[in-house]
Amino acid sequence: MLAASLNGTIGRAGLLLVLAATVSGALSTAYAIRKGDARMSSQSRWYALLALLGAVVAVAMMQRALITRDFELAYVQQVGSDSTPRIYNIAAMWSALEGSILLWLIVLALLVGAVAWRYRARAGDPLVAWAMIVLLVVTAFFALLSFGPADPFAAGVPGRDFGRGPNPLLQNHILVLFHPPILYLGYVGITVPFAFAIAALVTGRVGEGWLAETRRWALLSWAFLTLGILLGGWWSYEVLGWSGVWAWDPVENASLLPWLTGTAYIHSVMVQERRGMLRVWNLSLLIATFALTILGTFLTRSGVLSSVHAFAAGSVGGYLLAFFGVIVVVSLGLIAWRGDRLRAPGLIDSPVSREGAFLANNVMFALFAFVVLLGTVFPLIVEALQDRQTIVGAPYFDRLSMPIGLVLLFLMAVAPALPWRKASGEVLGQRLYWPAWCGVGALAVAVAVGASGWAPLLAFGLGGFAAGAAGRQLVLATRRQGWRGLVGRTNGGMIVHLGIIIIAVALAASNSYTRSATLTLDVGTPASALGHTFELERIVETQDERARVVKAEVLLDGDRVYRPASTKYLQFGQDIGTPSVRTGVTKDVYLTLEPGSGVRGGDRDAVIRVFVKPLILWLWIGGGIVAFGTLLAAFPSSRRRRPTDPASAPVPVGRSEERVAAERAAGERPDTSRVGTDSDDVPAEELTGV
Amino acid sequence: MERTRRAAGRGRLIGWALLGAVVVALLTVGIVRDRGAESSQDRADDVARRIACPVCDGESVFESRNNASEAIRAAIDERVTAGRQSDDQIISYIESRFGGQLLLVPRATGIDAVVWAVPAGALVVALAALALTFRRWSAQPRAAPTESDRDLVAAAMDDP
Repeated sequence: MLAASLNGTIGRAGLLLVLAATVSGALSTAYAIRKGDARMSSQSRWYALLALLGAVVAVAMMQRALITRDFELAYVQQVGSDSTPRIYNIAAMWSALEGSILLWLIVLALLVGAVAWRYRARAGDPLVAWAMIVLLVVTAFFALLSFGPADPFAAGVPGRDFGRGPNPLLQNHILVLFHPPILYLGYVGITVPFAFAIAALVTGRVGEGWLAETRRWALLSWAFLTLGILLGGWWSYEVLGWSGVWAWDPVENASLLPWLTGTAYIHSVMVQERRGMLRVWNLSLLIATFALTILGTFLTRSGVLSSVHAFAAGSVGGYLLAFFGVIVVVSLGLIAWRGDRLRAPGLIDSPVSREGAFLANNVMFALFAFVVLLGTVFPLIVEALQDRQTIVGAPYFDRLSMPIGLVLLFLMAVAPALPWRKASGEVLGQRLYWPAWCGVGALAVAVAVGASGWAPLLAFGLGGFAAGAAGRQLVLATRRQGWRGLVGRTNGGMIVHLGIIIIAVALAASNSYTRSATLTLDVGTPASALGHTFELERIVETQDERARVVKAEVLLDGDRVYRPASTKYLQFGQDIGTPSVRTGVTKDVYLTLEPGSGVRGGDRDAVIRVFVKPLILWLWIGGGIVAFGTLLAAFPSSRRRRPTDPASAPVPVGRSEERVAAERAAGERPDTSRVGTDSDDVPAEELTGV
Repeated sequence: MERTRRAAGRGRLIGWALLGAVVVALLTVGIVRDRGAESSQDRADDVARRIACPVCDGESVFESRNNASEAIRAAIDERVTAGRQSDDQIISYIESRFGGQLLLVPRATGIDAVVWAVPAGALVVALAALALTFRRWSAQPRAAPTESDRDLVAAAMDDP
């Protein structure tokens, strides 16, 4: 088949290069491992770089086709238009299925390139070589999708020289430029720890080495996933006009599922690092996380489930389902095969211990993920059994996630105070005392400002308790180590906890205490509602070749003018409301002009819907704190105690990633000049209970 | 020393009791004054959140911005303002007038009950599994180190 245009031809050549490089790279690396040829298996990085080059060429050609409005391509006919502003034209690449797969491919190729470069010195190591094979195979799968059923460079209807542009919802807010790529970085990033897990199973090196290798990759992809989800909520808030950040839409659930299992993983992995236990469980969580990204993509991209993200449905379902099946079968097979090596050497002494709390946390996260998955696929089950339509909506998920969330907040409060192995009641009573009073303080503040209802109040109280526990850990650590007390896994983790608590409290408050009113405003007549005054000044209308925009200029509290709008995109004929928000520290005032009410420029009245929502700003602040905390937790991790040193010994400064190599090459002595203590350790004065 | 520690312990116990009392008092205040939706608009929103938009995919009437949902919202507003029907009566009315399965919360009858029962069952199974695991762990005797283990440790300790 002849490609449609120069852009199409070169783009397809790029995809072909990705496919060829990944397949031949995987095969040659496997052959090299079989032959024990370390030099040959270290060539995998060149294949990775070739694949990256191919992906860059494909994406560059797609962008060029979009920028030059190359309407010979079907994809540009679908999402391109002459009138789309420049930035939304860039984002148009991921506004439909084929381009989304292309985005997935480039992100994956970048990651594989990064892994290849990062481990270039150890590419001959079978663990790394097998991880490269897995990564190349996954990349090959997505290249195949892009080359076959989701071809972004397919020829369009001949002679057509126009397009409608991206879906209206995807061309009126700057966040469409950031939310998908960042979410994909998280989604796709999970592939790296997954690849190392499979490599560990294949090589039989199922000890803690692969965990150390992938800790940072897992943490960073978790952080990107968190940020991507939050940015999606922000986009929903700023664009959709119903004033919410989360609708339990299937696509949202598909991003939440790997987040839940991934969060469980980054906690339980600490038990394995510390105690050597839970090996099968950790592998299963990681495999589940990766498999869920594929399953979620299948559910939402195959059209079996409908959602507001339906603009990206297509014909890739069968491929994704088959790939999901392969992942599950291969992974479970490998775990069964390596069962004898996976038996844990350690024991858990008491449920009331740090590891016990991690296990409880894991059970709750797994249950949470199960509930979300069940609710998401339940309509399919009912349809299969009874051939009727059902909808499982937000009220179901809200009702079930609330108790789970409260239990998780409680664990978040108690766990940081629990010592490893076993806790006594006396130690707990002493360590939890001030954090508990923080919880009481939060509860008192909430009651004082008028909060009501048991569930949000419990959320505020437990949030304060958990924040107190995290704060206690940070205070102890900084008292001992100064600013260094803020870095490292435990303390960075506590900062992440603070961010998550802020998000949880903001969600509880905004879900429980949103007030709304529908106002019919006449020009020049102020009206008051929900403690604010609203005055319609005028209604203006502008039109260009893309859209007709009707804006209501509303004076809020006699102070500033806000302009909620209703936009009719001429190519789509659909009215899209664009809210206007006054953001505040304690509450947002969210104004929308009801679209479809037929309001036109120059009218003397308009129907305005107003939402007053508390603490929304803190969702985004919490997200920033989570990102900052993850960086602190991920980076200064190189100082590790040698397993044979007593817990009180100073921690040598080593390069953790090369630790295995260094231990093998025993000649290199660790530098012990920088002395510090592991933040997990309990200072002596606390043990005595003073 | 021992005496001061015991006294401190007693003080803390009193502190915890005080804390419990304060929490109960604050929660009681918060729960007692909770009167549900404060205005008829808030109540209408609560009802709208429970009804699926008939023409779109997976959005509630509250979230959806299209004409069908707007019509349903108007109907809900009207019923709520009239103030004669309960939320459930309003939902049945909407379902009969606009047709179809519009309730977003699956009912707890028939096959729909599965969606409620299975998570509860999963919780019970998970907790039981956790309890069993802990019991198995605590029942297992501590393995004594073998001679080769001791050699390994000795070799590692000698390693500079």
